[in-house]
Amino acid sequence: MIMRPGQQLLLPANPLFVWASLVGALLLNMIQNMGLWGRSAWSPDLLAVVLVFWTVHQPLRVSIGAAFVFGLLMDVHQGGLLGQHAMAYTVLSFFAITIHRRLLWFTVPSQAAQVLPLFAVAHAVELVLQLLVGGSFPGFWLLLAPVAEALLWPVASIVLLVPQRRAPDPDANRPL
Amino acid sequence: MSKLAVCSALALLFMVADARFKVMQPLRVGLATVLYPVQWTALQPVLMVQSATQYFSSLSAAQATRAEEQLKRTVLAQRANQVEQLAQENERLRRLLGLQGRLQSPAMAAQVIYDAADPYTRKVVIDKGLADQVALGSPVLDEFGVLGQVTRVYPLVSEVTLITDREQAIPVLNTRTGARGVAFGDVGSHADALELRFMAANADVMTGDLLSTSGVDGVYPPGLAVARIEKVERRVDTVFARIYCVPLAMVSGANHVLVLAPLSGQIPARPVAVAPAASGRHGVAK
Repeated sequence: MIMRPGQQLLLPANPLFVWASLVGALLLNMIQNMGLWGRSAWSPDLLAVVLVFWTVHQPLRVSIGAAFVFGLLMDVHQGGLLGQHAMAYTVLSFFAITIHRRLLWFTVPSQAAQVLPLFAVAHAVELVLQLLVGGSFPGFWLLLAPVAEALLWPVASIVLLVPQRRAPDPDANRPL
Repeated sequence: MSKLAVCSALALLFMVADARFKVMQPLRVGLATVLYPVQWTALQPVLMVQSATQYFSSLSAAQATRAEEQLKRTVLAQRANQVEQLAQENERLRRLLGLQGRLQSPAMAAQVIYDAADPYTRKVVIDKGLADQVALGSPVLDEFGVLGQVTRVYPLVSEVTLITDREQAIPVLNTRTGARGVAFGDVGSHADALELRFMAANADVMTGDLLSTSGVDGVYPPGLAVARIEKVERRVDTVFARIYCVPLAMVSGANHVLVLAPLSGQIPARPVAVAPAASGRHGVAK
């Protein structure tokens, strides 16, 4: 995988970890909804962040089909229009695949700035669909959601690459 | 690129089928059944934190709540005794006048698990589903008034659309004047409010009027409290007044609710229209 000069060479990604992290992000989304702030327009969609992350880093494993299926699952959980998140995530992963080769050349904060328009477009797609179908406008707090998701991008970048940053030949000094 | 076209076409198909033709319920039920273990796993830490905070709340707070509830129960007991006597009198008067008896609505208690996360609709999820014989379209109330209607039933949970949702309308009766109207949800300017639409600008409505269900729609039983009128705006340029009402039920914090059986099972079916007589038609043709 092409990395910026000076970056550590990464181990290959474990597919079990990739899919487990996606299911974990779905779980955290549900916990956000059930336990923390109920229905709120500004809460960041963790599943979208993790989807874009893996689409950028592992485009052969996670791409548009996986985004579609996870979007359907989010729709069924949220009880909204079936296909609203599926459409938004499909568009999101399409744009993520479009930029995936260039994105990793930049520093992580710069990557976050470039990923912000993606999240904004995904939320805009959802908003337009809902307004066409006749939903109520959720308020201008919705503008905060893409910003929150872009701010979570550095966190995801660090946390999700931890298994790949391990030493290739573990010994007594570097057990993991 | 072709994958994008295929997936977005499929998503659009699902959306249209769900919004217009409403045929997506089997797919939803299938996906919801697959998703249920994940939802259950997500709910466990939430329930654990809730029970831990309840465990640590002070004894005096619990005792104060208990005393309050006992006082409320005493007040309600007095009203309940009155209700018994009034129901009996109502029954006798109906029999005397030859009217049909009042319809009974069997009720089932349920608990709200969480607010559905979609910010474009107002829905909550309750913990009774097909397994407990919840019917689609059942009215749902909490202790203060009407909360909404069951709009989707899954095997183990159901979704209730609140009366403050944009797509919901509930026929109401002004208890002071007896005038009937319809209250619609999702008023843009006020959060969690209802709007009583299509009332004439010179209609007799005052702030503080209590609205209850009128019982004429075959869904909600009559006499349940719905909302209280908060503001009446009579304007010169429109024929109708803008009437904003606040729902009495706790739409943002409902916890224990009652699910009633829908009335449609008990009222008689609509009579079939009879075709006009042939002789009449010959007369018109000539």
